[in-house]
Parts: sequence; C-alpha cells; structure tokens
Amino acid sequence: MRALLTRFACAVVTGVLTANVGAQDAEDDALRLANETPEVTQAARAWRVFVEGSLGGHVRRLDGGTQDTRRASLDVQVDHSPRPALRLFFSDRLDVSSPAGPSGEHAVNTLKEAYASLRPTTGVMADLGRINVRNGVAFGYNPTDFLRADSTRSVVSIAPMSLKENRQGSVMLRGQKLWDGGSLTALYSPALRDAPDQEGFNLDLGATNNQDRWLVSLSQTFAKGFAPQFLLYDEEAATPKVGLNLTALLNDATVAHIEWSGGRAPTQRTEALQTLTPVCECAAWRNRTALGVTHTTTTKLSLTLEYHYNGAAADESEWDALRQGPLPLYGAYRDRVQRAQELPTRQALFLFGLWQDALVQHLDVSLMINHDLVDDSRRVWIEALYHHGQFDFALQWQHNRGHALSNYGAMPEARAWQFVVRYYL
Amino acid sequence: MRTLLTLVLLLVCLTTVPRISTARTPQDILVASDAVRNPDFPFGLTNTLIEYRKGKQTDSSVLAVYSRLDQGGGQFRSLVRYVAPARDANKLILFNGKDLWLFDPASKASVRISPQQRLLGQASNGDVVTVNFARDYRATEAVEEDTQDGNRQTRRCHKLNIAATTTDATYRRIEMWVDVVSARPVKARFYADSGKLMKTAYYRRYQKIFGVERPTEAVIIDGLEPDWVTVMRYSDWVKRDVPEAWLQRDYLPHFKPE
Repeated sequence: MRALLTRFACAVVTGVLTANVGAQDAEDDALRLANETPEVTQAARAWRVFVEGSLGGHVRRLDGGTQDTRRASLDVQVDHSPRPALRLFFSDRLDVSSPAGPSGEHAVNTLKEAYASLRPTTGVMADLGRINVRNGVAFGYNPTDFLRADSTRSVVSIAPMSLKENRQGSVMLRGQKLWDGGSLTALYSPALRDAPDQEGFNLDLGATNNQDRWLVSLSQTFAKGFAPQFLLYDEEAATPKVGLNLTALLNDATVAHIEWSGGRAPTQRTEALQTLTPVCECAAWRNRTALGVTHTTTTKLSLTLEYHYNGAAADESEWDALRQGPLPLYGAYRDRVQRAQELPTRQALFLFGLWQDALVQHLDVSLMINHDLVDDSRRVWIEALYHHGQFDFALQWQHNRGHALSNYGAMPEARAWQFVVRYYL
Repeated sequence: MRTLLTLVLLLVCLTTVPRISTARTPQDILVASDAVRNPDFPFGLTNTLIEYRKGKQTDSSVLAVYSRLDQGGGQFRSLVRYVAPARDANKLILFNGKDLWLFDPASKASVRISPQQRLLGQASNGDVVTVNFARDYRATEAVEEDTQDGNRQTRRCHKLNIAATTTDATYRRIEMWVDVVSARPVKARFYADSGKLMKTAYYRRYQKIFGVERPTEAVIIDGLEPDWVTVMRYSDWVKRDVPEAWLQRDYLPHFKPE
C-alpha cells in the first residue's frame, strides 16, 4: 500500500512538473517569436479604394429558367484635410453589370458623398455638399433613417450593410454642436430636381433632393451608457415625424436596441396609389418600430433578432385586397415601398447571425432571415466570406419563399447565388 | 551574550520599523504599476498587433489610440481608429467602460457592441486600450518572489493577487508581478470567472516615454492554446488634447485626427 501511495505521489509530482515545464517552454517560444517580430510601420491613408468582381446567377420565378449575372465594381473613398479646420470628403461607386439592372443601364455610377466640412472650433461643425446621413440603431429596418428613400441606385447585395454602404446621400447644409455627453445636429436639404433620373452617370439629384426636408436630432447622456437620441423630421410632402433611438447593455454579451418613429400620415397604400385610384382621408398617427437584441457568444458568434412594425403598411386584409386586386396597383404599391425601403406589410421578424472566424481563422459566415408575419413568406440569405491579405472572397446564396404575390414570393428571383472577389488597393 | 543578542534585536527592529511604516499596500503597488504603464494626461499612440498561431503570423492590425482619463471615474476613455488592414481602415471604436460603439465610415452606421464582442482576434477590447487596473480591481495580497521577466532575466517582484471590484472589469482575477524596485509590471496572468487561465501577458521593451520608463510591448499568450500569441507594440506616443466631445457616439461620423 505504501509503495502504491509513493508511486501515485511521484506520478502527481511528475505530472505537475511536466505541465509547468511545458507551459514554460510555450512561453519561451512565444517570447522568441516576439523577439523575431520585425518593426512594422503603417501610416494612415486618406483614401480607400477597392475593385470587385462577381459571377452569379438566379432562377426566375416566372418560368423556372436560369439567368447568369456578372458585375465589376470600383469603389473610391477619399477623406482629405488640406487644413486642420477643413475636411473634404468624396465617395463614389461604379457598377457595370450584365444583364442591365431595372433601369436598363449596364453601367451605374453612384456619387455617394462629396462635401466640405468646416470645424471653426472644437465641438462646432458645418458641412455642405452631398452627405449620406444615416440614423438608426436597428439592423434590418430603420424607421428613423428618414433620408433613405430613393437613395439606392444599384443593388449589388441584399445584405443590410451593403444596402447602407451603396447609396447616395442628399445635398444639404448641416450644422452640429457637441458638448460633454451630448450633441445637437440640424440639417436642411433643399429640392433641386423634380424626379429621379436613372441614366447611368447622372448625379440623380432628383432621387434624394426632390423636396425640401429638414431634420433636427438631439442626443444627451443622462447616465452612463444611457444616451437616447431624439429626432424631429419634416418634409414638404408630409407632416412632421418624431423619432427615438435607444440602446441598453443587458449584460456583458447582450445589447438591446429600440428604434421608433411616429407621425400623422395616411397609409402607405394611400400614398402609393393616390395618382391611380381614389384616396381615402385616412391620415392618423402611425408608429414604426424596430425592437431587437444582439447576443454574442464566447465563440465570436453574434445573433441579432428584431421585431419590425410599420403602422402605415398593409395589414392582413389590406394586403389580401392588394394581392387579389389589379396587378398594376399591386405593382405600384410594391415599387413605392421598395424605393422608400419600407416594409410592405404590418409586421416582420428579422434574424441576423454573424460567426467570425467560423471553424477556420478569417472565415466569416453570415445568415439573414426575413420573415413576413402577415403573409408568412420568407427570405434566407447566407454568406461565407474569407479574408486573405488584401483579398475578400465571398460566396452568397439567397432563397425567396412564399405564396404567389406574397412579400417574398413575388420576388422575380426564386433563388440566387453569386461569387464575389474584392481587392483592396 | 544576552546583551549582545538584545542589541542585535534592537538593531533589527530599528532597521525594519521604518521599512514597515513606509511599506506600500498591495493596492499602492498596483497604482504605481499603472502609473508606469499609463501617462496621467490625454495622449495618443499607435498600437501594432501581430498575431501568431503555431509559430506563423496569421494576422496583423494597426490601430491609432486616443485616450483621456475620465476625471470623474479615474478610468481611461478611448477612441480607437483602424489604420490597417485596408478593409477596416478608418473604422472607429469608442470605449467608455462597457459603453462601446463601432462606427463604419462606409455605411455611416454606429452600432453599439457588447464587451464580449471581440474585434481583434485574440486580444480583448480591454487589451488594446489604456486601462488603469487600480480603478476596477483591488490588489489584496503582495508576496515577494523571484520571477523571470520577458527577457528571461530573474527579477525580484511583488506578486499581486488582484480581484475585480467593478462591473467594468474585463477579468475576474489577475495575478501580476511588479518589480519591487521600479514598480514596473513584468508579467500578468488573467483568469476567467471559472478560474480558467485566459491569457498571460509579458510587458517588455521598456523605453523612456514622457520622462518615465514604460513598456512599449506586450506579449499575450493564450491560456488554452499557448501557441496562439499576439505581440502588441506601442509607438508614436504623443501628448495631445483629446476633447470630451470626441468621446461620444454622435461625434464618430465627424472624427478626423489632425
């Protein structure tokens, strides 16, 4: 028995010593690596340029046939300060696609931003030019992103980030005053043209500057981590709207957010069809909300679940009526809603998952599901994105499912896929 | 003989009493080591991160970090701008305790993120910004012992046992070895709530920055996978104004360093 105990004790001591020696060796190796690490110097650049190419295809819902797609893109962003108090910003994107997009143009250029920013003193700024102003803390639907209508000239991906990146701003004069824990921003965006122009290289002032608009937003930190943003928006063609953005940290891994806007307005159906059919006098207070939560695991998986509500969109009976009514009216409603980046129906669910370094380092896998709670149609989008040096390789797949003329069942593509290569200069 | 012994004892007492009276508490030592790592005024620096796995470089990032001590709380608030890689260039992260915001200039989107949302491979958000440990932790014990530093030299250190005292703390427990003479941090081990070793950090390449010898390199070794190593190098230190107005979400779209 004593011999057994002695042998056991020896084994334990040997195990501990071996583990310590192993850890010591690993640390020695790590420090050797650090000794051999060369000095890296990398200066900040005032520009970012990438080129992108894609090959893809989709299955047409109408006849089940397939359609190949190809695209080449150039994206340029310059942020230059000739003087400390002056900043010049330029951002442009050119997409050359085959077949041509809905506008009939193969080459579509989007001047996203071009503006000058003056900073006379710390905390005071004045900007003039085309600016992409984007408000909203939600991912899949942004009721307070008041300037988003008609801003997308070329849709290259349905990913939320792509829709937010590849859009043009509005010409405006903007001023901002910042203080400790708060800020006040006011902007005025004038009417410069009457209607959008889809010619490929047009500045398209009529898309985002077709009426006078103004927006005031106020942020104030009331407590640590609690800084709501209040917005007041008005445009020539509608009554004022108010908005709110609020986030909260629920625990070390979970963030909740709410985005809300409200105002008196007719229904979207009335707004879309008023030139085609008699309109109702149905202006009422209507709310729009995106309520969500994002949870991140220790394995770098982030899941966002959102509930979307649009009080001006078609409820079940209105939606049924539109689907069963004349097709031109249905088409006009869909077109209006899509251009406004609004929900066509009253309620929806949105799930977005991003798994960084999924199974292998530098591989990011994303999943997005849009589920229409009114007609039960659904869109699923999956992307596998691999970063390698200055290259990004992405494989995207999309499936639209639903009954005829439902939200996603009416999409011209039943299924779509594309392989994208991006190179950063 | 008894008289001689009494004299010796008296001498020992006389020489030790002053040492006891001036002896620093474990928390004092932690405060002193914070002062070695961090200036007490607003400043900027470049943090270059190079990541290795199994001996091969797998990633690198360059960040510009702007930090300012929060007069109210005693902790640093930081604004971090990606310089490289190109795909992330000019993205911004605002660090204000656990109030974190990520801004992407391409989409103009400011997204609130949770502390668990790691943005830089192995390094946690708390690793890349300036942190005063003494603000969020309490050192409960200091034991003198010899340890090997990042250059494999033996150093006499205080081994501090450090426990989190605020919810802003990234780690539940830390062991830190601090040089008994210079108060330089030599190495630290960071533990999770479960008691598991998360990472070991060596503080190295001391250089005179703003009149004080400060570490300009941290070597971070993963607790579970010791061949996963991140070398963080700090350069381009500059004393600069970091206005309060910069450190809020609404400023991020306008941030442009001079």
